[in-house]
Amino acid sequence: MSDIKETTGLSRRQFLKGSGAAAAATALGTAAAPSAQAAQPPAAQQVPGMGPAGVKITLQVNGRKMSSTVEPRVTLLDALRNYLDVTGCKRVCDRGTCGACTVLLDNKPVYACSMLALEAQGKEIRTAESLVQGAKLDAVPAAFVRFDAQQCGFCTPGFVVAMKAVLEQNPKATPAEVEKGLAGNICRCGTYEQMRDAIYSLCNTKRG
Amino acid sequence: MPWPTTRRVIGTKVSRLDGPEKATGRAKYSYDINRPGMLHARILRCPHAHARIKSIDTAALEKVAGFRAFHIVRNAGFECRFAGDEVLGVCADTEEHAEDCLRAVRVDYDVLPHAVKEADARRLGAGQGTVGSPPNGPQNPANAQPGGDFATANFDEQAYQGTSHQIEGTYGVPVISHQCLESHGLVAEWNQDQSELTVWASTQAVPNTANQLAQNFKIPAARVRCITHYMGGGFGSKFGPDIQGTVCAELARKTRAPVKLMLDRAEEVTVGGQRPSAYGTVKVAGNRQGDIRAFEVDCYGSPGVGGGATVNFNLLPYVYVTVPFVKRRHQIVRMNVQTARAMRAPGHPQNCILTDQALDDLAAALNMNPMELRLRNLPPNDPNALKTAPNTYMARRNSIYRSQIEIIRKMCDWDRAWHPPGRGDGVVKTGLGMGLHTWGGGGRGPNPTRITISADGSVLVQSSSQDLGTGQRTVTAIVAAEIFGLEPTDITVQIGESQHGPSTPSGGSTTCPGTAPAVLNAAEAARTAFLAAIAPRLNAQAGDLVIERGSILNRANNERTPWRQACARLGQNPVQANGDWAAGLSDQGVGGVQVAEVKVDTETGVVRCTRFWAVQDCGLLINKLCCESQVAGGVIMGVNYALFEECIYDRATGRQVNPDMEFYKLGGIQDMPQIYVHMMDMPERGVIGIGEPPTISTAAAVGNAVFNAIGVRVEHAPFTPERVLAALARRK
Ligand code: FES
Ligand code: FES
Repeated sequence: MSDIKETTGLSRRQFLKGSGAAAAATALGTAAAPSAQAAQPPAAQQVPGMGPAGVKITLQVNGRKMSSTVEPRVTLLDALRNYLDVTGCKRVCDRGTCGACTVLLDNKPVYACSMLALEAQGKEIRTAESLVQGAKLDAVPAAFVRFDAQQCGFCTPGFVVAMKAVLEQNPKATPAEVEKGLAGNICRCGTYEQMRDAIYSLCNTKRG
Repeated sequence: MPWPTTRRVIGTKVSRLDGPEKATGRAKYSYDINRPGMLHARILRCPHAHARIKSIDTAALEKVAGFRAFHIVRNAGFECRFAGDEVLGVCADTEEHAEDCLRAVRVDYDVLPHAVKEADARRLGAGQGTVGSPPNGPQNPANAQPGGDFATANFDEQAYQGTSHQIEGTYGVPVISHQCLESHGLVAEWNQDQSELTVWASTQAVPNTANQLAQNFKIPAARVRCITHYMGGGFGSKFGPDIQGTVCAELARKTRAPVKLMLDRAEEVTVGGQRPSAYGTVKVAGNRQGDIRAFEVDCYGSPGVGGGATVNFNLLPYVYVTVPFVKRRHQIVRMNVQTARAMRAPGHPQNCILTDQALDDLAAALNMNPMELRLRNLPPNDPNALKTAPNTYMARRNSIYRSQIEIIRKMCDWDRAWHPPGRGDGVVKTGLGMGLHTWGGGGRGPNPTRITISADGSVLVQSSSQDLGTGQRTVTAIVAAEIFGLEPTDITVQIGESQHGPSTPSGGSTTCPGTAPAVLNAAEAARTAFLAAIAPRLNAQAGDLVIERGSILNRANNERTPWRQACARLGQNPVQANGDWAAGLSDQGVGGVQVAEVKVDTETGVVRCTRFWAVQDCGLLINKLCCESQVAGGVIMGVNYALFEECIYDRATGRQVNPDMEFYKLGGIQDMPQIYVHMMDMPERGVIGIGEPPTISTAAAVGNAVFNAIGVRVEHAPFTPERVLAALARRK
């Protein structure tokens, strides 16, 4: 992978070799070489495919710089999940309706499925994984745990990030304001009632 | 061994052990598994509601960047019977390239006539069916099939004798989708010589999934390993590898690389499972005092193209099973949409919609409070069951419902808040409505569970059972902690891996009653073995040793040895014991009562469910916190059913127009009522499952609340503004 310095002038075959290696390396979290099979694309792959070739991107994720090579059409969500192995943000609707993919982009909550990875370069990305330091849980996920505001948990990181965003922007937010901040998230298991317990506790308000 | 009579941990509120992992996104679901060198697969599906495959041309695949392999699921000549039927699987180095591959395959079809509305299917295919022949089944069976016909003896002559009041109403619910947030799918990886397969699958049945794959690939079951540490919702739709599982493993075999195949949202909605529709006309008649004498229902619904039941025919009228005269007819309508899968209490919500709403209409005709009507017509405690099995639902149903109604009556202040239907001033009208339900939820085996106590004081519990989001991991830890005098956080639980042995699938609310007794038995066996092992090293008789909270007490000399110190005496020999489910520790049959409060805007037709009360029994409570979560979650699913959800199929194209989360509506936090849950603890009954029951009567309760608010019945759910306004217009 280290021989790929730039994408221009790179043959598709070289590019594919590179991207295969990139995917493998990130999936492992190490620089291990991909298996022999994966490293030898069939000859057919030398024929140009659709869309422009991949480009190298660097994203700032949870305080770490992470790089990979992705095609321009790759969303921020897919770049994080498929190329960088950051899987706390979930893919559910993939169309900006459910909020499971919510991440913080320069402290603002965004649907990672609805923006391109290229657009997120140079911005500070935070996912739910950032809300724990060692064994110390951030207050928001801690409240989700305490009040059982999660069942299957697949929607939960998205809710946690959205709620974190509301409370960071306005530490004095009322429970109703926090609820409003979660209006773009959907939970199928139905954890809203327990979520309200978490919200009231985070807002230091007694539930009536 | 029975359940301990004094319980320190069991029945309390315990936070989920895996809560922190899940809430911070570190928990790895099947969807999150990324293996080195992993490829991505997609499935090409039939775009037509009914078509025969003429030809499949894959030649262009070779030219697609990143393409690795394809696998044909259906050959030319195959009759696809709904838009979404699998045709071919393909994999490539990236998801983007796999997507490109789908566009490179050319499939030609002979398009055949279709029906995707129940009315169309019934109209078109009375004799010769039009929606297609099932593979290996009869040729063109009629679209509409008899689903049951029953009448009490002398119904026609006697049923209505002596009745003074009678209503006839129409009620219905559409096809809805499970909409699991984690879609169906898996990652499949073979070992070097392709003799062993590992899958990370999103499933409610870990060993089942492994076994089915072993059968499909003709390898010994022990050589397939299924791992499901976390899963993002199933609700009855995930019991095996499905076609995509086999396709994925096949592509992994062909490419000798790990392959991931997760359905996208449109696939999840159109092929990942549906709950059948149910529409019916119901007649109920009773005397002036409110004794129901006759119940007559003529209903139909669609379980999709494959057939199967839509209501629970034998349980109509629902709950009120002792109504003297009953007549019922049911028709199963096949149409060109995916075949139904079990969804959270199959048949019961539909039954409840058809029964409980009709009851309220009769109450209105009688000018009676619907709570009184229900109390009057509850089935009696079964005298035979009282003699033989006095703790069962049959023996106690009347008492259970009666006490639940008393509790909910106070909780929601029914006597003050309820008003006759349609009363109330202003534009926004408030209404209260109720519903009753029942469910089995019994446990069974095999659920072999192994417990290991090591010298470092750690306790490991292993079984292959899965945690769907119900808190199964935590249930397991609670039971073990109770027996060993520890805290649930002291227990290490390893579940969701098929190599731990067989286990029952998580369906029908059977997991907690199937596994908690197994953990109890394993823990008791481990305790006995443990005390026997350490007794000589503590210079004690095993019979004198008892486990207290955090320590071992020698009753002979009142000496206490802290747990860890006692375990240290085990040295190199950890204690291991096994246990399985056994009768007597779990039971089945629960009752529940629910009340909804709604506010209906009579100008816009918008219904808001504002408050909701649920009283539920589930035998011996294990984790009160998660039980309450289950109940509130069931209620929310039911409110969605009542107000928002519907699979809408386009008559012209035969495709679903809302296979998404935008036009397929699911409520957010602001759309949901404040929910008040009351759990009844009945420890003498043993453990009973709680997953299904709390979602059953919700939609009927909401429907009744809407009726109570506006004084007119909105016939079909979801109770959308359009339907509410139409109903109001009818009244004028
Ligand atoms: S996955 Fe991005 S909003 Fe649903
Ligand atoms: S907890 Fe399962 S979807 Fe929200």
